[in-house]
Amino acid sequence: MLHLHHLPNQRPDEKLISVLRRHWFALLTIAGAFFLLTVIPLFLGIYFWDVFSVWSRQPFLGPILVVTISIYFLSIWLFAFLEFTDYYLDMWVITSERVINIEQEGLFKRTTSELDLASVQDATAETRGFLQTTFSYGNVFVQTAGEKSRFHFKNIPHPERVQEIVMRLVQEDKQRVTKQPATQKPTV
Amino acid sequence: MDFSLSALNIPVFVVLIVYAIYILFYVLYSLFNLFHLMKYGVEGVQLFLIVIVFTGGTILLVAGSIFWLLSFDWTVAIPLNQILRAYNNDILPISEF
Repeated sequence: MLHLHHLPNQRPDEKLISVLRRHWFALLTIAGAFFLLTVIPLFLGIYFWDVFSVWSRQPFLGPILVVTISIYFLSIWLFAFLEFTDYYLDMWVITSERVINIEQEGLFKRTTSELDLASVQDATAETRGFLQTTFSYGNVFVQTAGEKSRFHFKNIPHPERVQEIVMRLVQEDKQRVTKQPATQKPTV
Repeated sequence: MDFSLSALNIPVFVVLIVYAIYILFYVLYSLFNLFHLMKYGVEGVQLFLIVIVFTGGTILLVAGSIFWLLSFDWTVAIPLNQILRAYNNDILPISEF
C-alpha cells in the first residue's frame, strides 16, 4: 500500500507537494458507460415484460435467461470496477525533489518512473478541444535535458497550474543547489 | 437400440455448471483486482470505501441471482426435441396475432 507520508525511496527533507489523478471526466465516462449498459437492458425488460415473464417461467429457457442476466450484470459490475481500478491506480506524485509517475495498464502491467527535478528543462501545459477547455483539464509534458522522452501527465485537472508548480519547484531546486557549499574537488 | 438425437435429454442443472464456472472466474478476477488495489492503492478511507462498495455490489447481485435461481426445478431434464421447438405460443405469445 502506498503511504503518502512515506513515499518509496523518500529523501531527507523531501516534501509532498501534490498527488494528481486523471480528471473526474474520465470517471464520468466509466460511470456513463456503466449506467447505459445497466439501464438499457432494464428498460427493455420492463418494456417487453409480458414476453419476458412467459419466457422466465419456461422450465429450460427460464434458468438460461436468469443465468444469462446474472452473468451480464456481474460482468458489467466487474468491468466498471476494473476500469475504476485503472483510473484509481494511475497517479502522478509531485514532491519538492522529484516527480513520480505511476501508470497502471490493465491488471497485468504497471510502470513506475521518477524524474529528478534537477534534470527538468521545460514543462508544457496543453489543453486541447471543447471538452478539455470546458472542464479545465489537459496534459502536461515535462521535458528533461538531453533526453528525447517526455514525462506525460495525462488528462489532469488544471494543467496550467500544475505546469507552474513544476517550474516553480525546478527553480527552487536550482536555487537550493546553488546555495549549497560547493564540494571541494580532490587535489591531484 | 436406435439412436435418436431428439430423444436425448438435457438436465437443467447443466446451466448451473456454466454459471458456477463463470462465478469462479469472477471471484478469481475480483480477488486479483482487490489485491492490486490493496497493494498499490493509497492508504486511507477512500480505498476502504472502494473495496466495501465493490464487495457489497457483488454480494447483492449474487444474492439476487441465487434468490431468483432457487425458484426453478433443477432436477428437470428436457428432451432435445422440445428445446428445438422454440417457436411456440408459450414462448412467443405474439405469434397468436
